[in-house]
Amino acid sequence: MSDSRTPVSDEAFLDAVLDVVIPPGGDGRMPGAGTLGIESIVAAAVAVDAMLGPLVRAGLSAVQEAAVARDPNGFTALTPAARLEVVEAAAESHPFLMLGLVRYLYPAYYAHPRVLAAIGEPPRAPFPEGYEIEPTDPLLLEGLQRRRRA
Amino acid sequence: MPNEPVGVLIIGAGASGAAFAWSIADIGTSVLCLEQGPWMKQKDYPTNGLAFEARGMGEFSPNPNVRQLPADYPVNETETPISPLMFNAVGGSTILWAAHFPRFTPGDFRVKTQDGVADDWPIDYETLEPFFAINDRMMGVSGLAGDPAYPYHEPPLPPLPLGRLGNTLARGFEKLGWHWWPSDSAILSREYEGRAGCINLGPCTTGCAQGAKASTDITYWIAAQRKGVQVRTGCRVREITVRADGTADGVLYYDEEGQLQEQKAEVVVVACNGIGTPRLLLNSRSPQHPNGLANSSGLVGKNLMHHPYAMITGIFEEPLQGRRGPIGCSIWSHQFYGSDPSRGFVRGYSFEAVRGLGPAQTALLGMMQGRIPWGAGHHDAYARLYDRTATLLAITEDLPEETNTVTLDPELKDSHGIPAPKVTYRLSENSRKMLAHGVERAKEALTAAGAVDTIVDPLMRGAGWHLMGTARMGTDPKTSVVNERGQAHDARNLFIIDGSIFVTAGGVNPTSTIQALALYVADSIKKNVESVFEQP
Ligand SMILES: Cc1cc2nc3c(=O)[nH]c(=O)nc-3n(C[C@H](O)[C@H](O)[C@H](O)COP(=O)(O)OP(=O)(O)OC[C@H]3O[C@@H](n4cnc5c(N)ncnc54)[C@H](O)[C@@H]3O)c2cc1C
Repeated sequence: MSDSRTPVSDEAFLDAVLDVVIPPGGDGRMPGAGTLGIESIVAAAVAVDAMLGPLVRAGLSAVQEAAVARDPNGFTALTPAARLEVVEAAAESHPFLMLGLVRYLYPAYYAHPRVLAAIGEPPRAPFPEGYEIEPTDPLLLEGLQRRRRA
Repeated sequence: MPNEPVGVLIIGAGASGAAFAWSIADIGTSVLCLEQGPWMKQKDYPTNGLAFEARGMGEFSPNPNVRQLPADYPVNETETPISPLMFNAVGGSTILWAAHFPRFTPGDFRVKTQDGVADDWPIDYETLEPFFAINDRMMGVSGLAGDPAYPYHEPPLPPLPLGRLGNTLARGFEKLGWHWWPSDSAILSREYEGRAGCINLGPCTTGCAQGAKASTDITYWIAAQRKGVQVRTGCRVREITVRADGTADGVLYYDEEGQLQEQKAEVVVVACNGIGTPRLLLNSRSPQHPNGLANSSGLVGKNLMHHPYAMITGIFEEPLQGRRGPIGCSIWSHQFYGSDPSRGFVRGYSFEAVRGLGPAQTALLGMMQGRIPWGAGHHDAYARLYDRTATLLAITEDLPEETNTVTLDPELKDSHGIPAPKVTYRLSENSRKMLAHGVERAKEALTAAGAVDTIVDPLMRGAGWHLMGTARMGTDPKTSVVNERGQAHDARNLFIIDGSIFVTAGGVNPTSTIQALALYVADSIKKNVESVFEQP
C-alpha cells in the first residue's frame, strides 16, 4: 500500500491526484496530468516553497486521510467519482491546496512535449529555431504613411 | 593589497551605468564599474529549454523577493500595492526588460507649465534629442519614422513585424480613428552590428537567448570595455565615503568573497536604479551628511514614482499567434496622452500592446480569473483562452508625492547585513481615475478589434518595472537632490544618472529617457572636466 508514505513523495498517489486536477480530455487528445511523469517536478517545487508548500502538503494529507477512510487501500483504490469527491472536499477545506498545486502543475504540464503538440505548438524549446510571424498588414502601413510627420 | 584609485567609479552596470560608462570612457581617465550581480550567459536563458515559463516565474522572476539570488537584495513591499521589480546583473534590469522603447515627449518635461501640477524639468526634450539619437544607435532600435505623437526621428532599423495579433489590434484602433503607431523597440528587426535579428521567441522578459533584444551587457558594455572601462562583478557597494569637505572619495564594498574592500575615486557615479540609489545614499551617513549623502534637501528617497498599470485583456474567437514575437513590442497609442479637463484627471496615459501569453501563463491567468477550472472542464475552458488573448496595458503618469518613499528598513537586511529598502507607496486619486478611464477605453479598442470578452486587472501588482523620482533634479538645492547635469548639490564630484533623478514620470516606459539622460550627464562632465575633477 502506498498511502503510508507522505503524500507528496508518494508518486502513485500524487499522479492520481494530478489526474483529477487535469484529467485526460474526452477526445483523447489531451493527456491526463498523472500520466506524464511530471509528479516529481511538482513535488520538488512544492518541497521548496516556504509559503505554499506546507499548505499543499496539508491539503494532500487531507485527501489521503479522507481516501483511507473510504477504502483502506487509499486514494488509488477509489473509483474516479470517489476520487473527485475527496479532492473537491479537500479543496474546500484547504483553500490553498489547488492554488499551490496548479502554481507548479500548470507550468510542468504545459511544458510537456505531448501537451504542446496537443495544443498546436511545436513540441520544442523556443530557441534556437524561433517562430515566424505575419508581416505588418500593408494596408495599415499605407494609413500610417498618410498620417506620418515629415 | 589596496585597490588602485580610479578616476571615475560607477556603481551599477544596468541601463544607465552602461550608457554612461561608454561615453565617459572618452575622457581618458580610468573608469571602473562595481556591480553586485554577475555576467549573464545567453545559453542559460529559459527559452533554451521547454520549462521556460516555470523558470520565468522562479530564478528569472522580475521580483527580487521571489528570485532571492545571491546578487539580489530584499525589498520590503508590504506597504505598497505595486511590487518593485528589477534584475541585478551586468545589464541590470535590461536583462529582463521588454525593450518597449518610447521616448518622453517634449510636454513631459513641462508638466508644471502645461498643467500647474508637479514641476518642470530643468532640461528639455531638445537638449536630450542628440542623446536619444546616439542611444537609439547604440542599443539598436527598430521603429517607423514619423509618429505624429513625437518630433520627427528616425530609428536606425525598420520596425518589427506586427504579426497577426498586432495587425488585429491596430485595426481596432483604426476603426475608432485613434492614434496608434508601431512601437520603437530596442530589439533588432534584422542583423545589426554583429547581433542577430529577432526570431520571435516570445517571452523577452526572461532574457533574450538570441541576443536580439538590447540588454546593455551585449550592447554598451561590449563597446565600453573595448574603450578600456573595467567591470568588477559580484561587488556590492555598502556606502559611499566622503572627504572632510563632504565630497565623495570612493566606496566601501563587499567583494565576491564577502570581504570588505575600499575603492577610492575622483568622481563617483550612482546608477543603482530608483530603489537601489536612494538606498545607497541613505546608507552613506557621515558627520558631513548626517541624513545620508546628498540629502540636505531631505528628498532622497521621496517622490517615488512608478507607472501604475491597468491590464485589459481581450478574448478573441480566432487564434492570434500571439505567443510568438516580442511580448511587449508591437504597437503603442498616445490617444489619451496629456491632459484633457473633461476626463476628470490631470495628465494622461499611453497604451502598450502586449502579445499573447505562453501555454502555462494562459492556464494560470485563467485560473486566477476564474475562467479555467481544474477538473473536468479544464481543457474546454483552456481551448477558449489559449492563443486567443491580446492585452492592452494602460501606462498612467504617476505624479510625484513626497509621501511615496524609499526608506531603510529598520529590520530587513541583505546577505551582507546592509539595511534593505522599504517602499511605502499609495496610489493617488488622480491615478485611480486615470486607470479607470484607461480600462474603459481599452475595452473599446479591444472590442473594435474583435474581442468578444475582456478580462481586467484594474491595478497590476506585479508592475513596478519603472522606478523614478527618488533623487530628483532641479536648480534649487532646497527642493532637489541633483542639478540639471545630474551633479549632487551637496557633493560636486557625485553624480546620479538613473531614473531617480526624474522630476516627473511621463506616461510611457522610461528607459530611453533614462539612458539619454545618462549620456547627457556624461557629455556635460566631458565638457566641464576641470570643475568636476578639481581637487579640494
Ligand atoms: C521585467 C521588466 C520589464 C521592463 N520592460 C521595460 C520596457 O519595456 N521598457 C522600458 O523602458 N523599461 C522597462 N523596464 C525598466 C527598465 O529595465 C529600467 O528602467 C532600467 O533598466 C533602469 O536602468 P537603471 O540603470 O536605472 O537600473 P538597472 O538597470 O536596474 O541597473 C541597476 C544596477 O545597479 C546594481 N546595483 C544596485 N545596487 C548596487 C550596489 N549597492 N552595489 C553594486 N551594484 C548595485 C544592480 O545590480 C543593477 O545591475 C523593465 C523592467 C523589468 C524588470
